[in-house]
Formats: sequence, C-alpha cells, structure tokens
Amino acid sequence: MANTIAILIALGSFPVSLALTRFFMYWNLKHGIIGIDVHKLNRPKIPEMVGVAVPITLVLFAAIYAMVGGSSSIPLLAYCLVVGLAALVGAVDDRLKLRGIFKPLLTLLCGLPVLILGLAFPGQVYTSTLHVPLFGGYHLPVIYPLTILVAVSVTSNTVNMLDPLNGSMAGGISIVAGGLLIGSLLVGAGSTSIFLYASLMFSLLGFLYYNRFPARAFAGNVSQLSIGASVGALAILGRTEIASIVAIFPNIQNSFFFLSRIRRFTEHRELTSKPTKLLPDGRLADSEDPRAPLTLVRTLLIGRPATENEIVSTIWMLFLTSASLAVITLLLTGVPR
Amino acid sequence: MNKRAVGYELVVFVTQWGLMLFGFGVLTKIIAPLNLVSTSMFLGLYFDAAVKGLIALVLSVTWLFIWDRQVRLYFHRRGK
Repeated sequence: MANTIAILIALGSFPVSLALTRFFMYWNLKHGIIGIDVHKLNRPKIPEMVGVAVPITLVLFAAIYAMVGGSSSIPLLAYCLVVGLAALVGAVDDRLKLRGIFKPLLTLLCGLPVLILGLAFPGQVYTSTLHVPLFGGYHLPVIYPLTILVAVSVTSNTVNMLDPLNGSMAGGISIVAGGLLIGSLLVGAGSTSIFLYASLMFSLLGFLYYNRFPARAFAGNVSQLSIGASVGALAILGRTEIASIVAIFPNIQNSFFFLSRIRRFTEHRELTSKPTKLLPDGRLADSEDPRAPLTLVRTLLIGRPATENEIVSTIWMLFLTSASLAVITLLLTGVPR
Repeated sequence: MNKRAVGYELVVFVTQWGLMLFGFGVLTKIIAPLNLVSTSMFLGLYFDAAVKGLIALVLSVTWLFIWDRQVRLYFHRRGK
C-alpha cells in the first residue's frame, strides 16, 4: 500500500516537469539563454538550461512526499540538498563556463549533506554495510562515509558527459531509474526509495517529451549534474550501490574512454579534436581523428555513419541492457531493503 | 549504424558485469575478513581500512584495464 501511494504521488511529477519544461523553454528563449544544435545541418537555436525543470520537480515532490508520505524526512532532506547543490554548481557552470576541473571538485561537496545528516542521524540516511550480490556483505565504517562524496561526484559528472545527442541523457537515465525502480520493488525496498526512483523517472520523461529528437529544449549542466547527483544519492539512500554502478555502464564507458584519451578534466567545447563529424546528408560519422576521444557515440559509428535518431535509440538500448543487468544484480543481492 | 559494434558493446557490458560480481566476491569473502593491520595498535582500525581500500582500488583499476583492452581490441583497431 505504501509503495502504491509513493508511486501515485511520484506520477504527479510527470505533468509538473512537462509544464515547467514548457515554461522554461519560453522564458529562456526570451532571455537569450540559447544553445546551437550542432548535429543538425541548419544548426537551429534551442533554449538552453531548460532541464532545470527536473531538479525543481524532484525537490518539490520530495517535499510533498515528506509532508504526506508519512516517512522520515531526514533522507528526503539529504536528497533535496544534494540535488539542489548539484543544480547550483551546474547553473554556475552554464552561466560562467567554468574550467573542466572545477565541476568534479565542486560536485565533491554536493555529497556532504548525505554524509553530515548520516553522521547526525545514524541509520536514517545510510548504513555503512555494503550488500554484495551472491556473497553477503561487509561493514565499512571508515571507507563507506568517505566514498559517499566520491560517488556523488562521479555519478553527476559521468551523467553530464553522456548527453551529446537529443534525448540521450534524459532517455538513458529514465531507463536507469525505471530499472532500479523495478528492482527495488522486486526486492521489497522501502517506500522512500521507491518514491524517489519513480519521481526521477517521471520527471525525466516529462522533460524528455521536449528534449527528444528533434530537440526543442536542451538540458544544460544544471540538470545533467543534478540528475547524476540524484542517481548517486539514491544509490546510497536506497542501498542500491552496486546495482546503480551496473545501471550506468554506458556512462562509465563513455567517461572512462574520454578521460583515458584526453588525460585531464576538460569540457567538450574545449576539445580541438572532435570524436564525430556531421556529413552533408545530415548523418553523423566517426571523425577518424586519432587524437579525438573514443566516446560511446564514436564506438557506435566506427565504419558506418548513422542518423542522430538511430544513435540515440541504440544508446537507449544499451541502457536497457545495463538496467536489466542492474535488476538481476538487485535480485542476486537478495536483501529485503 | 555499426550493428557489430553494438553487439560487441553488449558482450563487453555482460563481461564487465560478471567480473564486477567476481571482484566484489573476492573483497567480501577474502579481503574483508583479513586483519591486515593489528586493530589494537594506534589508529590500527584506520590503517586496516586504508590497506583494504587500496586493494579495492587495485581491483577497480584492473577491472577498468580489462574494459579498456576489450574496447581497444575491437574499436581502436577498426578506428585507425
């Protein structure tokens, strides 16, 4: 019953996110907050930072759930603070164009609310026992709290790095949230984490309606970082740490190969060697530049160009695979949560 | 779209998933129960945690290295 109420409340985040996205599309366009869709031949101007609708919806619904859901408000407060701080870092980056190194450093601080509230209210926000699929678990009283900061920073930045095409991030992470929601329901997770996963998925679907190909709204760092931070915070609050890593395999591969080639934290806009190129027929192709990073999109295009829509569908299919593996991971963990 | 590349990505994901579960199994069943540094000595608990953390870090780097080799084996060779 508690899970049904949680999902029903979370369902409301879809129309709210949809309406807020629509509002910010007009507001940002009117105020000159725009970006150029470089993967289209006519290079249309699209309102930027519209994805701010997602963190606003997440925080709003977490507050509503804290009031009517009857569950402890401490984890929800920690979640809201993490999402809000990451959105703030993203907004600053969107407006001031910070250097690449600042995002990982600043997002390290975004995990602090989980750590501080966890220490202040032991057992309410996180437990230091890591549950491992098939093999039980082990207690990590020293390492686990420190890992929280790194986890939120890694997830927010890795999600930020895999949004090169229309709908790739919003669709991909909604699949991740959907997979972890199903897994959490199957293992009997607490209603708070069920609510938060459902809320994340429905908020993203609301934004995706306008962000899907051909995009009429761009997410911006403000939403990419906050959505990534949300995934990281939820992994800790919902005790789905290992399954969450599995669910974001496409993000991990993309970030790892980007960093291993570039060997520094940098922005895509600062890259001189681009991984892909736009063909005269509107399709995307591997740039064949040996200095360019081997991003996930580039691996899918090696030897054969494709349309943006085809690539995004394939990325979603990869997310579907990793999310399925995440569900199996949760089932193998087999711990009622 | 390179269908073969997509299929290869799926194989890489499943392999990495299997290796990840194995790695966590090693950490849980072998590394975690060990007393690598005496917990009775000054800050012994923290040194013990640090050593185990380092072992976990080495396993993570190995896991990423295997991922790297798998992807490069196919994509970099084809990409050049």
